[in-house]
Amino acid sequence: MAAHNDPLAHPEVRQGSVLRYVLGFIASGAAMYFAYVEALGKPPVVELLEILAGALLFSLLTQAALFFGLDISRAQIWKSVSLILTVPLFIIMIGITVWAFASLYNRTMPDPAIMNSMAM
Amino acid sequence: MASHTQAGADVVLWNASADAHDNISARTYGFWLYLLSDALIIAAVVACYAVLDNPLNAAGGPLGNQFLSASKGLVQTFLVLGSVLSYSLATVALKRGNKLGVGLGMVGAILLAVLFLGIGMGDLAALSAAGNGFARSGYLSCFFTLIVTHALHMGFGILWMLVMLVQIGVFGFTENVVARLLNLRMFWQFQASVWVVVYIYVYLFGGAH
Repeated sequence: MAAHNDPLAHPEVRQGSVLRYVLGFIASGAAMYFAYVEALGKPPVVELLEILAGALLFSLLTQAALFFGLDISRAQIWKSVSLILTVPLFIIMIGITVWAFASLYNRTMPDPAIMNSMAM
Repeated sequence: MASHTQAGADVVLWNASADAHDNISARTYGFWLYLLSDALIIAAVVACYAVLDNPLNAAGGPLGNQFLSASKGLVQTFLVLGSVLSYSLATVALKRGNKLGVGLGMVGAILLAVLFLGIGMGDLAALSAAGNGFARSGYLSCFFTLIVTHALHMGFGILWMLVMLVQIGVFGFTENVVARLLNLRMFWQFQASVWVVVYIYVYLFGGAH
């Protein structure tokens, strides 16, 4: 990337766009509102999980593309690559932790639902 | 015998058209890597929350579905997204070198963030006042940790914006100031990304089951 004497000419400054940011706000906000409305209907847990996961993924992707401006351009590609390489770490950290503790509860602890009814 | 060229003033050792070092890109990329590691800290807290979100760890105290308000969380979601939009529009003004536009965008972002924090901290204070504070149960410890961790990030972002408002006035749009403004844009957008995860998982999923 060429050096710029004028910092305002830097590609990361030039990428700012009113249209992109407003679209990012609308798309991400709409996904959250959709999730809110669907959650109010109290669907079955698995269905709710699918709806919420879809809305979250959509919201995060629109934020990545429209707010963060991640793409494969020369100015942004290494940010995109590092994010993609970090995603498995999120999955490992959250997924394996939850899986491990869910298994632990099942094997070593009383059923939480039973414990809860006893506490009432 | 093969000819051998001696290095000298007439020998081009480097490609003259090669990229020069780009200070702004180096700084924003470094800060981006910091944000990814910060995201892993948030992921660790979310994982902890997911593990402790059950009646066993509530120790007879409330779970999220008994005190969380999805509608209030939605208001907070729009406040944080609005704050990010306001700061992002400030960086569009930065493109034109418009100090007033940048300042107005940042002040708008600060005001919306203060409203967001006011709602969140008010909820935590009410929960504590009802005897359901940080130490009530493992679940509440993790809930408070998650919300306060995000709130501290927001608070630091507000402080950073105030500092940048001063720096813009004193130094103008120098290379250092522009790099900091770009880093702050990523930091601020990151807060919205973290919040939508919290809203979806804690407020909507946790509040509904």
